[in-house]
Amino acid sequence: MSLKYKQIQPPEGINTSKEHPLKEFSLLLLGVLLFIVVAIVSLSYAAHLLAPFVPFSAEQKMADLFAGQMHDRPRDQLAEQIAQEDAAVTRYLQSLADRLAMAQGLPDDMSITVHYIDDETVNAFATLGGHVFFFRGLLENIANENALAMVMAHEIAHIKYRHPIKSLGRAVITGTAIAVVSSAAGSNIIGDVLGETGLLTALKFSREQEQQSDESALNVLAKIYGHVDGANTLFEVLEQAHQDTQQPPEFFSSHPHTDNRIDNIIAMAGKHNWPITGAITPLPPQFSRWLADTDSTFIQRP
Amino acid sequence: MYDLIIFLILMSLGYGFGRVAEKRHYKSILERETALNRIPAIVLRLPPPSLKPQNTELVMGSVVISIDYFKRIAAGLRSLVGGRMMSYESLLDRARREAVLRMKEQADALGANMVFNIKMETASISKGRKNKIGSVEVLAYGTAIIPVAVPIQQL
Repeated sequence: MSLKYKQIQPPEGINTSKEHPLKEFSLLLLGVLLFIVVAIVSLSYAAHLLAPFVPFSAEQKMADLFAGQMHDRPRDQLAEQIAQEDAAVTRYLQSLADRLAMAQGLPDDMSITVHYIDDETVNAFATLGGHVFFFRGLLENIANENALAMVMAHEIAHIKYRHPIKSLGRAVITGTAIAVVSSAAGSNIIGDVLGETGLLTALKFSREQEQQSDESALNVLAKIYGHVDGANTLFEVLEQAHQDTQQPPEFFSSHPHTDNRIDNIIAMAGKHNWPITGAITPLPPQFSRWLADTDSTFIQRP
Repeated sequence: MYDLIIFLILMSLGYGFGRVAEKRHYKSILERETALNRIPAIVLRLPPPSLKPQNTELVMGSVVISIDYFKRIAAGLRSLVGGRMMSYESLLDRARREAVLRMKEQADALGANMVFNIKMETASISKGRKNKIGSVEVLAYGTAIIPVAVPIQQL
């Protein structure tokens, strides 16, 4: 008997799966993203819990290290723009900072050091070791002491609640975790998506810190001036400055939206019965001259 | 955020085109397979001795097939948790069947009535550029048995 050579069509779906590709994909994506978010959130909480145990003196040493590096770089632009400690504007800002720090109940082992940067940027920031930086662009746009006190108290609150060291700890631990997972994913694109998710999760913490600082600053304003007028003018200045640049949705942003911050201020003032309007304290009359006249006080680098 | 938008656009492009291409390809595979079933592809090494002397010819079919953006991402995610790489399975299934079909089409053009000793080889052509190129070659080859028009004189 000889073999019969005949070919019949095999049934489909044995070597492939009938499952819809989108179903598999969405399950996988949701699962992995959920895992990332949970992991980042728990690692961030851990970092936030542990970071305050870093003594403030250690933080200051870290800051000195960074500052040293900055000054060692030849002709570092930022370093050249920072006004000296004895510049009139710096002295004024420092005295305001000391007053606000006292009112805010800054712990004794912490100190605030204010720096003035001669640059267009409309911003101010607080960083490791209690260093607070003010840009000329912001100070030029501020109309009164109340608004300035709001920024200052906000930045001091960041220091008081140890936000810079918490952020650093969080960035180190979540950065490591994301690097490990995304390299395991084996593809650059997937790694980017996972990294992005981690970043967006971290931004949530950043926005919470901003809100905490806003609230603390408002508290101090009410304590010192008896009202919270000026706080909203600050945000109006910020809004004006960022008007020409498109603001991304809050979800993608490190700070809450300015509108939300103003709403939050009004809500807080209402809750604590702080008057929203009151007597405005003007800035010192020479203030604008101080801003312009820092040329002689620049750090001179050979 | 713009990265995310670009990513989503690439994903939907990859998914849309990939899905349409796959559907069309499977349809064409099924049609041609049914038509070419008259040329059986047999993995036996030698034709049975009972077969009368025939002409033989090497026939081969080769396919290079590339992964789409969507499948690549799906596979990347799958590689995190493990399991069946379903997005690759259909891709390779198509490549194998297309390669056999091309081989059979060649055999058909030669007037063969069957192909013996079928072998398949797969080569990844993304060597060293894992994240840039996701292409695979599938080669099917065998010996086409071509009946001789004039019967050979029996000794």
